[in-house]
Amino acid sequence: MNSLQPVVLIIDDEVQIRRFLRAGFELEQFSVLEAENAKAALRTVTLRPVDLIVVDLGLPDLDGAEIVERVRSWSTVPIIVLSVRSSEEEKVRLLELGADDYVVKPFGMAELLARARAALRRQSRSAAGESKVRSGPLVIDLAARIVSLDGEKLQLSPKEYRLLQILAQHAGNVITHQHLLREIWGVKHVRDTHYLRIFVRKLRQKIEKDPTQPGILVTELGVGYRLVHGPQDAHAK
Amino acid sequence: MLSGLRDWQPNVSGATLKSSLSVIGVSLILVGVLTAGLAVLQRVADVQTVTIIYLIAVLFAAIRGGILPAVVSALAAIAAAAFFFYPPIYDLRVHNPIHLIDLVLFIIVAVVTGKLATDVRKAKMREQADALREALIGSVSHELRTPLSSIMGLASVLAQTPDVAKNHQAAPLVQGLREEAERLDDHIQDLLDATRISNEGIRPHTEWVDPGDIISAAIERKRRLLAGHPIKISVAENLPLIRLDPTLIEKALGQLIENAVKYSPPASPIEIQAGQRNGVVRVAVHDRGLGLSGEERARMWDRFYRGPRHRDSIPGSGLGLWIAQALVTACNGRLEAFSPGVGEGTTMSIYLPVAASGGPNHRAVPDE
Repeated sequence: MNSLQPVVLIIDDEVQIRRFLRAGFELEQFSVLEAENAKAALRTVTLRPVDLIVVDLGLPDLDGAEIVERVRSWSTVPIIVLSVRSSEEEKVRLLELGADDYVVKPFGMAELLARARAALRRQSRSAAGESKVRSGPLVIDLAARIVSLDGEKLQLSPKEYRLLQILAQHAGNVITHQHLLREIWGVKHVRDTHYLRIFVRKLRQKIEKDPTQPGILVTELGVGYRLVHGPQDAHAK
Repeated sequence: MLSGLRDWQPNVSGATLKSSLSVIGVSLILVGVLTAGLAVLQRVADVQTVTIIYLIAVLFAAIRGGILPAVVSALAAIAAAAFFFYPPIYDLRVHNPIHLIDLVLFIIVAVVTGKLATDVRKAKMREQADALREALIGSVSHELRTPLSSIMGLASVLAQTPDVAKNHQAAPLVQGLREEAERLDDHIQDLLDATRISNEGIRPHTEWVDPGDIISAAIERKRRLLAGHPIKISVAENLPLIRLDPTLIEKALGQLIENAVKYSPPASPIEIQAGQRNGVVRVAVHDRGLGLSGEERARMWDRFYRGPRHRDSIPGSGLGLWIAQALVTACNGRLEAFSPGVGEGTTMSIYLPVAASGGPNHRAVPDE
């Protein structure tokens, strides 16, 4: 086994789901570990170094949320949650517990890989001291605290910069409303989502080509915001 | 499966002849037992006034069997009372006219309680059948969904394997496999939503929302579906924030977009507009498709309704608009359809009220 291959741990009780996840990750040069329940999963993460965890929420023995919580208590390993539709509250809860992102069942492999890569990049970026994050024409230089659009420096208020900074640090992954409100306006305002709405609308006027069809700072309804990551046209999928 | 469910009505004429007969039998035995009891009692007291006790048998027959058994047991009770207890004894004739009132009273009680009991039983059966149907849809949908998730995942992995990706014959097949699985999953999702709506109702999680976000999310979700159609999107600037559950409206809007695509010719333009007037935000989807006939306009909101001219040509479950309307209504909104006529295109509009106070729309956001 190539020691440079990232290791992914797949936690799901459905054999068929594990099978296609294994195939999909192996195609992308991951080394794959599997666990069919929470107990086995927790044993694996304590015994083996793991670079990424993909966990299904409906496990037979333990709530997926509990795995997220336990792993987060001692590790920053990226965690992607496999969720079901129409449970935004659940997604928010898991993200707040420390999951990096989620995909909604049924999902395609490309979508999961995009989320997984974004989460892995956050890890490697902080390890390598990389400071520039690109989203289409927008470049956020986290070290120099400069944001530029098509090469031109943008004038942003401190709070606007803070918002972009948080999203850029997790580029490609979703950040909850609560997280942003807490970081920007303080704990007293975690429920004031309208702050974000008005603020993001203003920010989009500055960074988006068409603010009504955002391609950089996108909304995840009922959950939060995501900075689309990468140099490509944001809508090309 | 869907048309089967649509036609499935619970059998409420329920109480069969056989069970009626058995109820009659039991109630007649009951009359006999009561008669025996009264005969014993007669040795120590005057029982002419307590024949009302026969109502026990009548009520039993009414509750268990409905009107007919009740009337039969009422007649039997009257006959027994007249024969054994009302003078002249051992004779069906009755001297005291007051006892005739008993006859009328027994018949009235039999008919009224019989009718009530039948109504209650019918309602109960219908409820049980509905609950059973919903439970069935719920569990079947779940059972179908898990393997479908695997199929879609497998297809997506297959599409990425180099052998398939490079193969011009296999790649579109795998793509087709995935799209069809997705379509099936959408149908199952509709069934699940409909079941959930009628079982638990909708519990919106409201927050302040930018209507523009809902529109872009809905378009994003239907992007692949919209691919063949030129789309024109016009969202008014500075739409007010609205307090509602954005995921519900996004779903409803997605349904309207899906319908616009389904019921209009390939490559025909679809317009999505949003604006506000008089404290109401309107989000409209306009197509140049098949339009609506008078009958379709009248019945399009019915659960499982499908226009007769589309039934065989365009697949669908007849659930979509019913769900969309339920979702919009749960957000205090209104869903309206407009069409100049058959073949003239359709405009579907969602109207959402803005808080009378304007909510946070006029308040400043602290920005240092």
